[in-house]
Amino acid sequence: MAKNESKSLGAAKDRDRALLRLEDIGKYYGTVHALRGVSFSVSEGEVVGLIGDNGAGKSTLIKIVSGVTPKSSGSIFWKGEEVEISSVKLARRLGIETVYQDRAVVGSMTVAENIFMGRELVRPFLGVVPRLDRKRMREEAGRLVVDLKLNIPTADHLVRFCSGGEMQGVAISRAMRFRASLVILDEPTTALAVSGAQQVLDFIRRLKRENIACIFVTHNLHDVYEVADRFVVMLQGKVVSDVKRDDTTVEGLVGLQLPRSATGA
Amino acid sequence: MESTKLVRTSSSTRVQVFLLDNLIWVIMIVLFFIFSLTIPNFFTVLNIHFMFYDASAIGMLVFAQALVLISGNMDLSVARNAGLTAMFVGMLVRVWAKGVIPTWAGIILMPVFGGLLGMVNGFLVGKLKINAFLATLSTFLIYDWMTYVINQGAIINLGRALDFPGGGTIFGFHFAILVLFAVGAVLYFLLQHTRFGAYLRAMGGNPEAAGMLGINLTSMNFRVFTIAGVLGGVSGLLYTGYLRSIPSTIATGDSIFLSFAGAIIGGVSLRGGEGSIVGALGGVLLLGLIDTGTTMTSVAPALRGVINGLILLLAILINKSRLDLRDRVLMPPQRQA
Ligand SMILES: Nc1ncnc2c1ncn2[C@@H]1O[C@H](COP(=O)(O)OP(=O)(O)OP(=O)(O)O)[C@@H](O)[C@H]1O
Ligand SMILES: [Mg+2]
Repeated sequence: MAKNESKSLGAAKDRDRALLRLEDIGKYYGTVHALRGVSFSVSEGEVVGLIGDNGAGKSTLIKIVSGVTPKSSGSIFWKGEEVEISSVKLARRLGIETVYQDRAVVGSMTVAENIFMGRELVRPFLGVVPRLDRKRMREEAGRLVVDLKLNIPTADHLVRFCSGGEMQGVAISRAMRFRASLVILDEPTTALAVSGAQQVLDFIRRLKRENIACIFVTHNLHDVYEVADRFVVMLQGKVVSDVKRDDTTVEGLVGLQLPRSATGA
Repeated sequence: MESTKLVRTSSSTRVQVFLLDNLIWVIMIVLFFIFSLTIPNFFTVLNIHFMFYDASAIGMLVFAQALVLISGNMDLSVARNAGLTAMFVGMLVRVWAKGVIPTWAGIILMPVFGGLLGMVNGFLVGKLKINAFLATLSTFLIYDWMTYVINQGAIINLGRALDFPGGGTIFGFHFAILVLFAVGAVLYFLLQHTRFGAYLRAMGGNPEAAGMLGINLTSMNFRVFTIAGVLGGVSGLLYTGYLRSIPSTIATGDSIFLSFAGAIIGGVSLRGGEGSIVGALGGVLLLGLIDTGTTMTSVAPALRGVINGLILLLAILINKSRLDLRDRVLMPPQRQA
């Protein structure tokens, strides 16, 4: 399958290495043409900064990859195979974990319960009934919390008491615990003060050490420049640039986000 | 390297949280002692036995309401479900299919029929995404009038078998009390120790997050209303034996309000996501305790209703400060304002 599609040897090699590859993704919301043929790929363990103006289509793109909304056209390849990511559940099963600032945690439940939510560990009770293994979940959650240096007293702590950065830490813990291959973060630092943002950048570095890839959506170019290996710039539903970190500067990224006519290029 | 250390919750914190979480039982024990000391003949085995017995049929409705509230919904129809179920199944086994379906089969048919009525709510809320208040208000009206359409009188002479669950005793002990505690134990396990319970609390606490984490809200809504319906059916069965007849007014009046009052007094939050079965049981027993106490001091019946309302108000106020206090005890010291 993959061989038939390849046009050159170099491309084939590239494709095999790609963890996620998007080809010509299109998306309509009714009559709104939000994505107009988006293609790019993410390699294993790579941190990709997805940037672009308001309404460029960044959130739409990640919603498609994380199974929240269906695409209208195009193909998604995961580890070389074409996939239909029809639900969040399926995305998680593939190993794609999405971190939404404070929207994917339940404040009235504990840190441990949140980390394992939807994938609770169970142990047979009376031989047949699956009973939650709270002790193990608490222990594992405790280790993850220490590992990520979260300032949380215990895994029994209610998420309601966590800061915005810590809530994302809870979501990052899910990715670590369930060995995700790709973590998507949509504007994780936007609502955070400097220390919280630094904490989130540390999480991303931590994921990189585990060889977990990241797509980091943001408007804060300084934040993303600290951790990304590559930048994909979107404008009006299209990818307009795809540059390596070493080939650009923060100032260079600013220019890439503007429409062509404005830069005169 | 290790800058953050995981500290264990101190034992004094844990004792405080335990007491706050079980405040309803603390209040009940205190009130029980006060009644025992001040009301003559209150502290007798017979009286206490009756208090539990009296709480069992309404207890099923409180459990049902607690589960539905924890899931972030509400069920206005559950008491009418009990009434319609009792009437429909009663007519089936005693009139329409008399001799074809044995009377004792009503014991099984009531929870099943209640479950079917609950499924209607589950379908309206889960599948059609109708607001739970409006959906169950509609079914409340339908079930209420259907009961009356079926029979405007009462079915009497039900026979020992159908009377037994709600009216029978074993070794002098009311069977209905066993049902109350057995159902309570099963629901406690379901809510605290299974994935279903975790999903129920998650969807009640933050449905958007629960959905994003792959919890199927449609099926969870369907299931929780179905369970509430089964409990409504069991309640109908217990009322049947309690009254030794099925009047068209069965489980009417205060029942639906008491189902909310019991759950909320027991610490279940109207906002969803918070509450426990043990608390709900405490809520229903506290209502029963107060009811018995006021009955024995010959408070006028109308005034007893007023007292129930005041108790509810007081409970809401106590719960509010209870939760604030709980937060304060659990909050990490550096964030305390
Ligand atoms: N649910 C929706 N229904 C209709 N149009 C939508 C919907 N979601 C997004 N859009 C439109 O699609 C386009 C892309 O939006 P999207 O949210 O993906 O942009 P974005 O790059 O994430 O922007 P921002 O940086 O402001 O978050 C916009 O024109 C937006 O108005
Ligand atoms: Mg966006």
